[in-house]
Amino acid sequence: MSRFFVLTLIGLTQGAIYAAMALALVMIWRATKVINFAQGAMAMFTTYLALFAIDHGAPYWVAFAFALLSGFLLGAVIERVIVRPVESAPPLNVVILTLGLLLFLEALAPMAFGGQIKSFPPAFSIVGLHVGNSQIAFSPFDAFTLGAVLAVMVLLLLLFQKTNLGLRMRASAFNPEVSGLLGIRVGRMLTLGWALASLVGALAGVLIAPSLLLYPTFMDDVLVFGFTGAVIGGLDSAVGAVVGGLLMGFALSYVGGYFGSDLETVGALVILVAVLMVRPRGLFAVQRLRQV
Amino acid sequence: MLEVIDLTVAYGPVVALHGVSLTVADGSMTAVLGANGAGKTTLVRTISGLTRPRGGSVRLDGRDITRLAPDEIARLGVAHVPQGQGVLAELTVDENLRLGGLWRRDPPDQRKALAEAYDLFPPLASRRHLAAFSLSGGERQMLSVGRALVARARVLLLDEPSLGLARLVLVQIMARIRALVTERGLTVLLIEQNAKSALSVADEGIVLHLGKVVARGRAHQLLSEEGLRHAYLGF
Repeated sequence: MSRFFVLTLIGLTQGAIYAAMALALVMIWRATKVINFAQGAMAMFTTYLALFAIDHGAPYWVAFAFALLSGFLLGAVIERVIVRPVESAPPLNVVILTLGLLLFLEALAPMAFGGQIKSFPPAFSIVGLHVGNSQIAFSPFDAFTLGAVLAVMVLLLLLFQKTNLGLRMRASAFNPEVSGLLGIRVGRMLTLGWALASLVGALAGVLIAPSLLLYPTFMDDVLVFGFTGAVIGGLDSAVGAVVGGLLMGFALSYVGGYFGSDLETVGALVILVAVLMVRPRGLFAVQRLRQV
Repeated sequence: MLEVIDLTVAYGPVVALHGVSLTVADGSMTAVLGANGAGKTTLVRTISGLTRPRGGSVRLDGRDITRLAPDEIARLGVAHVPQGQGVLAELTVDENLRLGGLWRRDPPDQRKALAEAYDLFPPLASRRHLAAFSLSGGERQMLSVGRALVARARVLLLDEPSLGLARLVLVQIMARIRALVTERGLTVLLIEQNAKSALSVADEGIVLHLGKVVARGRAHQLLSEEGLRHAYLGF
């Protein structure tokens, strides 16, 4: 099988995870205009919680659901307790708070779960599938990763576009003041936005943990790559986040495969700079036809 | 009945409203007039809960709503159509209208109210699936008012509907609102800089000057008081 094809398959799976992380960042950005630098650390923490459950005898799927649920709750609590009180402060204050939260969670994890590197079990085999006589770089777990990310994205799309709850959430993100005048409980909608975004982040955590191993900073690179993907996509666009995340997956896989994995992070930077030079507001920046 | 009692609002040391009182009876329209900076917008923002007063109270049918949050006040049937930027530009016309009635949790009646709003403002019907930012100023104003109707608002707070509108469009919109006041008992507080057109549709008028009420009376009386017109209303 050609090298390029192998790298593309790896890039697709990794890209799906970066896309999930990018989507989480974009959802929070759209809801509260905050870049949540703690997104990766939150996902790290919920992945540890899943492993904790597994170590105490819980089946994989229970731990998986536990990670998503704890991500949902963690997002809601953080919005209520940390973000809400500084809502009216300058935006930079909240950003610094999320950086503080990142440090806090990365310090708390080794205290709570031990600092040593741990392995995290996958839901399915991570041995490549056989097609005919040859083995390809695509395992059942990779298929599950793609399917899970896709399912979450479709569900979110349906929620936002087809339900009244989603309509209320979008309205609250676009214009909290007018939404309040329409009888929408804007605070609840923003909390829910953070909760759902953290759920998506938690999903990225449990999906990538088997291939990265679990340690307190294991999501840092994923956050950087997801954030780069989100910026490439335009930060305001959910579709852009997904496309940007996938692009990052492909690009980093090619960079790592052809030039060595040491250069992956540099590759991310080069791609970011290149895209922003050509399209400063990202690939999918919302173009306003007319704004009065 | 909407009552504002001895309302005082300040932004830091700047007092924007100074002991303002007014009453709007059910099924009537009161115009609040005055120049820029008279405190008109502050008055509606305080009634709808967006601005907190320093003193005084707002009552709806005798109930004190002064300390309620904007969404709670909206769910009591008070619709505030803010100046200019009242529509959610990123959402479609249909989504904007539907948002007005979501809090009522009465889907059949919401659909009925939606159809009525489209009947009342036909230009909206032909653009229902377009993003609201593609609308003209007049269409946006129709959308804001239509949304208040989908909310089945009992009290409508209109902040400068004439802003940026062609006169003919404004006259059409105000005629529709006037009809709702007479036929359905809608209660309207109309904020206007354009005193002449406001007084020609309203029942009562109040003139604000630097945060104080300087004149009040029947709309047609205010229209004919020459001294008042020259001093505060500018026509």
